[in-house]
Amino acid sequence: MPPGLEGLKHIVVLMMENRSFDHMLGALKATDPRIDGLSGNESNPDTTGAVVKVQPQAEFQSQLDPDPDHHFPGVDLQLFNGDNSNQRVANMQGFVNSYFQQQRDVKHSRKIMYYFTPDQLPVLTTLATEFAVFNGWFSSIPGPTICNRAFAHYGTSFGKVGMDLFYVKEPFQSIYDRLVTASPARTSKLYYYDQASSTMEIVNLLQHQSELFGTYQQFIADCNKGTLPDYSFVEPNYNDHDGDNGTELASDQHPDHHVQAGELFIASVYNAIKRNPSLWRSTVLLIVYDEHGGIYDHVPPPACMKDGFVAQPNDTGTGRSFEFDRLGVRVPAILVSPWIPKGTVVKGPQEGGRTFEHASIPATVTKFFLGDYDRRSPREKAADTFLDLLTLPTMRTDGPDFKIG
Amino acid sequence: MTVIVVPKPPKGAFNADRPVSALLKNQILHLQEAEFRLPTRQQTNIYVNKIKTEGEAANYISKVTAKLHPEAAKHVTSRIAAMGERKPARKAKAKIKAKKPKNQGGVGRKKKR
Repeated sequence: MPPGLEGLKHIVVLMMENRSFDHMLGALKATDPRIDGLSGNESNPDTTGAVVKVQPQAEFQSQLDPDPDHHFPGVDLQLFNGDNSNQRVANMQGFVNSYFQQQRDVKHSRKIMYYFTPDQLPVLTTLATEFAVFNGWFSSIPGPTICNRAFAHYGTSFGKVGMDLFYVKEPFQSIYDRLVTASPARTSKLYYYDQASSTMEIVNLLQHQSELFGTYQQFIADCNKGTLPDYSFVEPNYNDHDGDNGTELASDQHPDHHVQAGELFIASVYNAIKRNPSLWRSTVLLIVYDEHGGIYDHVPPPACMKDGFVAQPNDTGTGRSFEFDRLGVRVPAILVSPWIPKGTVVKGPQEGGRTFEHASIPATVTKFFLGDYDRRSPREKAADTFLDLLTLPTMRTDGPDFKIG
Repeated sequence: MTVIVVPKPPKGAFNADRPVSALLKNQILHLQEAEFRLPTRQQTNIYVNKIKTEGEAANYISKVTAKLHPEAAKHVTSRIAAMGERKPARKAKAKIKAKKPKNQGGVGRKKKR
């Protein structure tokens, strides 16, 4: 076993909000052609038929207002641009059309094709180029936040494609439950930012198992003291609010929250781990986004193992049922560890490589801490895991540090 | 060791009067579902259909989460400067007015009595 895996004690996942791979990391293709980003020729038609190319004109705030549609019917339009035939294939040509539907403004609708330049996102792009970036990490469902995050917690969304409440159906437990009820028991915590932001995992967890939760202050303290649990899931701040020490800026990067605030938050999570040498050498950090937020990406989502559930047409809103046999749009995903070779690029399925999705998270955590475990969804059992990327024979000493400007 | 300077967002980025997103609306509904399972005396009496801004949402979310997860309030309350910077000066806690309902109606589920 490689020494990075031999000494691994902690897995930390930070899940951000609503940005696509091309929007955040697509520009990196210019400096590293192995990264499946943007050449600049990718395009969508607008509603007048004009060709709208991708452009490096993304802004930190006030550009994607209204919030682009990322619910199941809207994403269906983005993927298929209105093709409802039985033989349809995702063409990724409906993003501008979809955004037009919200405001009926042709000029504004084109902004869904804008992307960031690397200098605008120093934290995300540095981590992507210093550690491992996934060309093929997709959201689990072509739909919104709650059901996508459910795949990260449960390996399934129990047949849900929307934002409704759902309840855990036996026999599938959350990854947190599996860990804390294992023999011997493992430790796990879901850290939300603060009480005014709370967690998106209210269903079944916060209301029934509050002992599984902590705040971001506790995460920092646990990093400093070296008391981080085996598995940690970290949530950013979901809203602007007044806190004990002044204003708290939303850091989730969900439109229309300021993207730089999210950069700071990602940096703070990374710094908290790296600041403790013992933790740094024994921890792997996954930074991933829950879904694309309705924003353009050029890679068609692949088919996937069926989930075992079916969403009916009334729930999908598309007139079709959905058998959870196709993934959602690609999202940024970066794996950080001093045991990962610098500049690792994990090829995606579009290049004959590997497919990752949010079920890969509980799959990886379960495999590492629990080994064989049967009571999981078919999707999770089939999901690829990512700890094999820790391949270096000796630990790197050259990881970057982030400092507030 | 490379040191990357991370710019701070401008002060104007903060807007507690920003209209709530669909995500926050759904989070509020989920929390309301949990709140209705609390004893009546522990419920907030905030009518979620009147929540229009992120600041109002944060007020409601904070109150319900405090009921569901009181352990968080017992943790160390002093801010830890996560970036290794000096602790910011203490500022007066801003008061968020909880709006009193005028009637017992509202969108969504009625409170269980």
